[in-house]
Amino acid sequence: MTVHGFHGRLLHVDLDSGRHQWREIGADRLRAFVGGIGLGTSLLYDFAPPGVEPLAPENPLVFASAPLAGTGLTTTAKYAVVTKSPLTGFIADSLSSSFFALALKAVGVDALVVTGRAPEPLCLFVGDGGVELRDARHLWGKSAADTENAVRAELEGAAVRVAAVGPAGENLVRFATISNEGRHAGRGGVGAVMGSKNLKAIALCGGKQVAVADPEGVAAAAASLRRRSLGTHTAKYREVGTVANLAVFDRLGALPARNFQQPTFDAADELSGESLTETSFSRRNGCASCTIRCERLFRASSGGEQRMEYETLFALGPLCGLEDREAVLEAARLCDAYGLDSISTGGTLAWAMECAERGLLPEAGGLRFGAAEAVLDAIPAIAERRGVGDLLAEGSRRAALALGRGSLDWAMQVKGLELPGYEPRSLKTMALGLAVSPRGACHNRSGAYEADFSGKVDRLDSAPPRGALVAASEDFGAALDSLIVCKFLRNCFQDFYAEAADLLAKVTGWDYSAAELRLAAERIHTLKRCFNEREGWRPEDDGLPPRVLTESLAAGVAQGTRLTRDELREMLRDYYQARGWREDGRVSEAKRKALGLPAKQAVSKLHPREATAPEIVIPAKAGIQAG
Amino acid sequence: MTGERDRVGSAIILAGGKSSRMGRPKAMLSFGEEPLVKLVIRGLATLFPDIVVVAAPGQELPELPVTLVRDEVAYQGPVGGLCYGLRECRSAAAFVTSCDVPFLSLPLVSHLAARLPGHDVVVPHWEGRLQPLHAVYRRSVLPLLERQLERGELRPVFLFDKVRTLKLEEDEIRALDPDGWSFFNMNTPDDYECALARWRAATDGAARPAAGRCEVELFGVARLRARTSRVSVELPESATLAHVWSALARKLPVLVGPVLTEAADGLTAGHVCNLNGRDFVRDGGRRVAPGDRVLLMSSDAGG
Repeated sequence: MTVHGFHGRLLHVDLDSGRHQWREIGADRLRAFVGGIGLGTSLLYDFAPPGVEPLAPENPLVFASAPLAGTGLTTTAKYAVVTKSPLTGFIADSLSSSFFALALKAVGVDALVVTGRAPEPLCLFVGDGGVELRDARHLWGKSAADTENAVRAELEGAAVRVAAVGPAGENLVRFATISNEGRHAGRGGVGAVMGSKNLKAIALCGGKQVAVADPEGVAAAAASLRRRSLGTHTAKYREVGTVANLAVFDRLGALPARNFQQPTFDAADELSGESLTETSFSRRNGCASCTIRCERLFRASSGGEQRMEYETLFALGPLCGLEDREAVLEAARLCDAYGLDSISTGGTLAWAMECAERGLLPEAGGLRFGAAEAVLDAIPAIAERRGVGDLLAEGSRRAALALGRGSLDWAMQVKGLELPGYEPRSLKTMALGLAVSPRGACHNRSGAYEADFSGKVDRLDSAPPRGALVAASEDFGAALDSLIVCKFLRNCFQDFYAEAADLLAKVTGWDYSAAELRLAAERIHTLKRCFNEREGWRPEDDGLPPRVLTESLAAGVAQGTRLTRDELREMLRDYYQARGWREDGRVSEAKRKALGLPAKQAVSKLHPREATAPEIVIPAKAGIQAG
Repeated sequence: MTGERDRVGSAIILAGGKSSRMGRPKAMLSFGEEPLVKLVIRGLATLFPDIVVVAAPGQELPELPVTLVRDEVAYQGPVGGLCYGLRECRSAAAFVTSCDVPFLSLPLVSHLAARLPGHDVVVPHWEGRLQPLHAVYRRSVLPLLERQLERGELRPVFLFDKVRTLKLEEDEIRALDPDGWSFFNMNTPDDYECALARWRAATDGAARPAAGRCEVELFGVARLRARTSRVSVELPESATLAHVWSALARKLPVLVGPVLTEAADGLTAGHVCNLNGRDFVRDGGRRVAPGDRVLLMSSDAGG
C-alpha cells in the first residue's frame, strides 16, 4: 500500500555479515509512531534483543527519518538517532538536522538500521546505485568534520551528505556524538555505539523524492508556517540564539555553576549571549529548510570562529567555573572536533573538579574549578582515553561508581545522563521533568521548564499539577520529535495538535485527527518507558542527584530554596497518576493495551536476523476515542 | 541580527534649508527648552550610533554631539545635502531626514531600516507622495547621486528608478504611524504654532508626577535592540506594569514593535516580564512598587 510522505521501507545493514536488506515498514507502524523519535523507538524496541549490551554488536543503531522531512516545511530537515545508551543503559534518542536529514529521506528509506560490528573501520555508503561498505581505515582518528570532507571528496559528489564519529566515538567514550555538518546527535553516547560497530561514517546520496498527498495544501501550510516563524515568538533564536539563556538564568537563580554548588555565576555578564554578540559575533547560520536560523558563530581570539549554544556555554563555562570566554570557546571547539557531548563533558569535568578539590582524585592533574588550561588538556584526554581521561570517558555516574568514596553524591546526573543547564531547585516543574525523562536528565525530549517560565505555576514551589504539566510537555515533545518539527517553532502554533495533525493528513493522505496525534504522542513516550522497563528500569531510577535533594540554593534570588525528597516523591506520584501508570512508575498492562503496545513480558520475536519484517500490531485507530 | 552589509547605523539630518517662508532657521525653533534640531537628534540617537548633520555654510547651530558637515555649495537642494551626508556617514546605510520634523515616529524609522535587506533605498509612499527626506539610503548610491548633482538633477526621486527602491506603502506605514505625523514638516509660522500645541499636549500627558522609580533590566533581543542593559523609569502613584511599558517605550522607542506592542500597552508574543526575579508576568495591570526590579526577557527558555 502506498502511503504518501513515506517510502514504506527501511534499510537494515548488518556489519557482522556485511549484508544488507531492504525491508517493508507497514503503514500501521508508521501511522502509530509517525516517524523520527517515534519510529526510531518502535524499531529499537523490536530490533534490540532484550538486555543487549549497548556496545555489543547486537545493539541496533537506528537512524529514523520523518514524514515532514523533505517537504520544505520550515525546521523539518531533521532525523533521529535511537539506540540503547552506553551511558544510561536505557533508551538514547537524539535528534540532528540539516542536509544529512534530507539525504536520508532521499535515499528512499524511512529508517536505516545498523547492527553488527565490522572487522575493520568502514564507511557505509548508500546511493541510488545501492549499498556499499567502504574501507575507512585511513579515516580513523580524524574529526567528524575532516571525515565528512574526506568522504565527500572521495565520493566526488557535492550531493553526498555524511554523518560521522570523531575520535571520541572511535574510543567508545560513553558520551560521544554523531555529527554532520557541524551539528550533533549529541546526548546519550550514540557516537560510542557507532564507534563500537567500527562504523566511522555514513554517506548518503539519493534522488528519491516522496510525493505528498496534497501538494497545494502542504505549500499553503508551509507558507503560513514560514511567515509565523519570523514573528516575535522566535526573535530570541533569530537575533541572539540559545546563548540568550545564560544572563537571564543567572538573574533567576537558575544557572548551575561550579557543579551545581551555585545557582548564579560571577562572570555571567561577561559570558552572556548578549555580551558575546556585542563583542564577538561572527555570523549566523542555520539548518537546511530553516527560516529561524538560530546558530551563532563567534570569533575567537585565535582567529577562528566557533559555534556556541547555551548548553555548551553553561557546561564548559559556569558549571566548570570557567570565566574566560576564550577558554570556553576553545573548549567548545575541542568538544566539536573530538565528537563529545559538551553537556556531559562539562558535567563530568565538574564532577572531577569537585573530587580533586576534596582531595579524592590526585591523578586529575590541575582540574580545579576555573582552571581553564586543565580543561583544555582534559578534553582531548577524555576523547583519547588517556590518563584520567579514561575514567572520565565513562561519564560522571560510572566514574563515581568506580571511584567510590561518596563521590556519587555530587555526580550531577539522572540515569547516568548529566544534567543540562536548568537548576532543578529553582525550576521545580523542570526538576520533575529531569527525574522522569526516559533518557535521563534531558531538556530536549520534553520542555518542562516552559511551565516554570509561564507564570502559571510558582517555579519555586512543587504543588500540583506538576505531573500533568510534565506529561503534557513530554507528549508535545514526542509529537514534535516524531513529525519532526523543531522545538523552536513550538510557540508559533495556535492549536498545535490540530494544526500538526492537519499537516500530517495533507502530507500522508491519512485522515489524521488531533486526537490521533495526541494518542500517538502518548504511545511514543510510553514505549520509551516500556523499553526502559524491559532493560531493567527500577523506581529509584526516576530521581535526582543527592545534592539537589539535600542542599538548599546557596545564592541568588532563590537563595535558601530547597527541593526535598518528600516533594519529589509527591511530584512523582502526581506524575504517574497523570500518566495513568502504576504507583511505582511502571506502565500497567491496561495502559499498554489501550495504546496498542506490547505486553510487558512479551519478548520480541522480531530479532533482526529473522527474515520477516518486525511489526507491532496496532489495532486500527487504536483507542482514538479515549484520546 | 542584521549583517554589517545591511546595517543602518547612521542618521543624516539635513539642516541647511533656506527657511524662507518661516522667516528664521527651522533648526533653531524652540520645543520646550531646546532647539528642534536637538530634539530630532536626541530621538534618532536612540536608534543610530552615528549622526551626521548637514548644515549650510556659516549656518548658526548649537553645539551638537554629532558629525557636522557644511554644504560645499549652499542650497543645492536635498541631493546636495544627501551627497555630503553620505560621504561622512560611517555605516553601510543611513536614515535621512530634514531637521523640521518634530513628530518622527521612531518605530517607523526603525521599520524602514529593517526593510533595507535586498534594496538600496527604502522610501515611504504616503498619501500619493514619495517622502525622500524620510528614507533610508545605502551608501553605495553615492556615485549616482554625485552624477545627478553634476547634471543638476536636484531631486532625489530621479535616483529611485536607477536602484533597487522599496516604496513602503501606506498600509505598512499606518501600522506604525496611523496619521502620518512623521511626515509633518513646518514651512510657516502657523505650522510651527500648530506643531508646538500638539507637542505640548503629548509631552504633558507623558509627564505625570513621579512617585518613585524602578529599574528595568533588558535581556536578549531587548538588550541588543536598545543597546543598553538597564533603564531606570519613573513611576506614578499606584503604578502598574503598563506604566513601566509606556515609560520604556518613551525612553527606548526602538523596543516598540519587536518587544513592546505598537501601542506600548503590552509585550509582543514571545516576551515576558519577571518581577524581582520571582514572578513571571504579562498582565499590564500588575502593580509595580518603587524599587522593584523588572526583568524583560524572552518567554521561551529553550536552549
